[in-house]
Amino acid sequence: MSEKLRARVLVAGAILAALALVGAYLAAGGSSYAPEKTQDPCKPRPWRNPQGLEEIAQQFSLSALDGAACKLGVSREALARALATPEARERFSKKYGIDDAKLAQAIRAGLVRAVNDAEKAGALSPLLAGPLRTTVEQIPLDQAIELVRDARSALGGLQTFLGPAGGFLEELLP
Amino acid sequence: MGLVLADSSVVVLALPDIYRDLDTSVAAVTWVLISFNLVMALAAVPAAMIARRVGPGRAAAVGLAIFAGAGLACGLSDNLTTLILARCVQALGGAAAVTAALELLPATVGSEKRAAVVWATAGATGAALGPAVGGILTQLISWQSIFLLQVPLALAAAVPILAVARHEAATGILEPELRRTGRPHLLANIALAMVSAAIAAALFLLVLLLIEGWRLSPIGAAIVVTVMPLAAILGSRLGPLVSSARARAAAGAILVSGGLGGLALLPKAEVVLTLPPQILVGIGLSLVLSALTETALGGRAPQAIHGGWTISARHAGVVIGLLALTPVFTADIAQQRDDAINAGTAVILDSPVNPLLKIELAQRVADRLEGEDGKVPTLGPAFEPLPSDAGERAEVEELRGELQDQLNRGATHAFSPSFGLAALLGLLALIPIGLSRKRDVEL
Repeated sequence: MSEKLRARVLVAGAILAALALVGAYLAAGGSSYAPEKTQDPCKPRPWRNPQGLEEIAQQFSLSALDGAACKLGVSREALARALATPEARERFSKKYGIDDAKLAQAIRAGLVRAVNDAEKAGALSPLLAGPLRTTVEQIPLDQAIELVRDARSALGGLQTFLGPAGGFLEELLP
Repeated sequence: MGLVLADSSVVVLALPDIYRDLDTSVAAVTWVLISFNLVMALAAVPAAMIARRVGPGRAAAVGLAIFAGAGLACGLSDNLTTLILARCVQALGGAAAVTAALELLPATVGSEKRAAVVWATAGATGAALGPAVGGILTQLISWQSIFLLQVPLALAAAVPILAVARHEAATGILEPELRRTGRPHLLANIALAMVSAAIAAALFLLVLLLIEGWRLSPIGAAIVVTVMPLAAILGSRLGPLVSSARARAAAGAILVSGGLGGLALLPKAEVVLTLPPQILVGIGLSLVLSALTETALGGRAPQAIHGGWTISARHAGVVIGLLALTPVFTADIAQQRDDAINAGTAVILDSPVNPLLKIELAQRVADRLEGEDGKVPTLGPAFEPLPSDAGERAEVEELRGELQDQLNRGATHAFSPSFGLAALLGLLALIPIGLSRKRDVEL
């Protein structure tokens, strides 16, 4: 092989090897290997198969978080972390300049959205949704946070509160 | 030569340990690496001139002694300032030893041309070997051992040179020879600087990705990056098959860029996927560094001065690469950390586990991430204790896996733009390599 040809083969081989590697990694999804983007909390999020108290409570909490986050202009994920402990809430308030009154207002709005979403998804009867909506519109901040964190207990508590109505709530839930 | 040039990259794997031991910042600790390369870049040509004036034997012997003494000071440093100062002195000694070695080599290997090839190959192999050796020593002994071990090695290298130094002292240096200095090969040196910047990024960023991103131990990372010097050895076997230095330089730059492109597009956080890019970078760096060094030295006298220019160009490239890419990388990792925290929280929120546990987990994971100062944490402790209910435990374990995946994605993606920029730098080196065709019959 002549010297000129050997030089050309070397350069061509290098180009082929480089293109093959980059092409193979691109084909394997190298350009999209990144953390998944979080969803805009203002966009509606469909309820997944809400059956039974546990599932409804899950979806209720997530809808409430979305609604509150949308109102505050933060991500659902940042708000969820903020509600974990009083210290986390304080850090969140400082970082985003959100006081308790604004937070309470947002969480109440989130809870209203959760009631609406539950009703729309057929997970909550209009008979129950109406009074629940009225209640959450006036709920104090700490209780509102507790309702987001633990909707199951609250909904279960509502069932207990209904007392003589017994399985009434279960009838209202799908 | 190899010892000194390995030193420019040898501390890469030790930086996390130095950072912890000396209680400093990430930005400050990178100066342990940058200072050495900066002083090498600035001192190489003046050191070569001194070597010409006092004699290469004496310059190399004194240079190695300074290198060894400063190495001892580095190993005994208990604060960052002393360590950086000692590294600067070490680079001064290293610059004198490396440039003088080029004047001494023809007597050992037979000709100036052969000496240039040996000198260039030793430089390329040393640079590629540095991180692996440093990582193994850091893990097995300590970061200080990297420097302390250099002391006997440098002194041992100085012993045979002493005879040359004595001879020079007896015979003196010929004054007319000192005045014959041609202009440096500008295009080859510019290309060397650009390729060196890209290679520095490959070594530095890959090691950071493995240790800080994927949580490998220094020795684990050292074993992984050993692929690069092994491939460089393969590349040094390929080199002699093609006599055109321009073709070898172009092929090398393309391979380095292709390898860096592969690292920028890693499709998963798996060590095995770093091997093909490392093979390309290793072969490429061997081809391009030796071809450009030979070109810069070819037919030029005195060799030490032109060797000094190549050392200066290479280390300036390393400094530029580190200074240009570190801010890009730092900004990206901060952004990716936030994205990973949010993606991880989203995974937790959308999981079927108990809502109370969800919010608690989200906060614990975020706390671990924030407490790790940019590193990707091991998530195990955030999930302890696991729920006692078997079903719930399985859900939490699955959740932990998904979450770790999001973090790995974040850590890997944080390095992509920097690797991509480094690949671009490698490709840009093709411009001076191509232009040199008009200037030289054979680059």
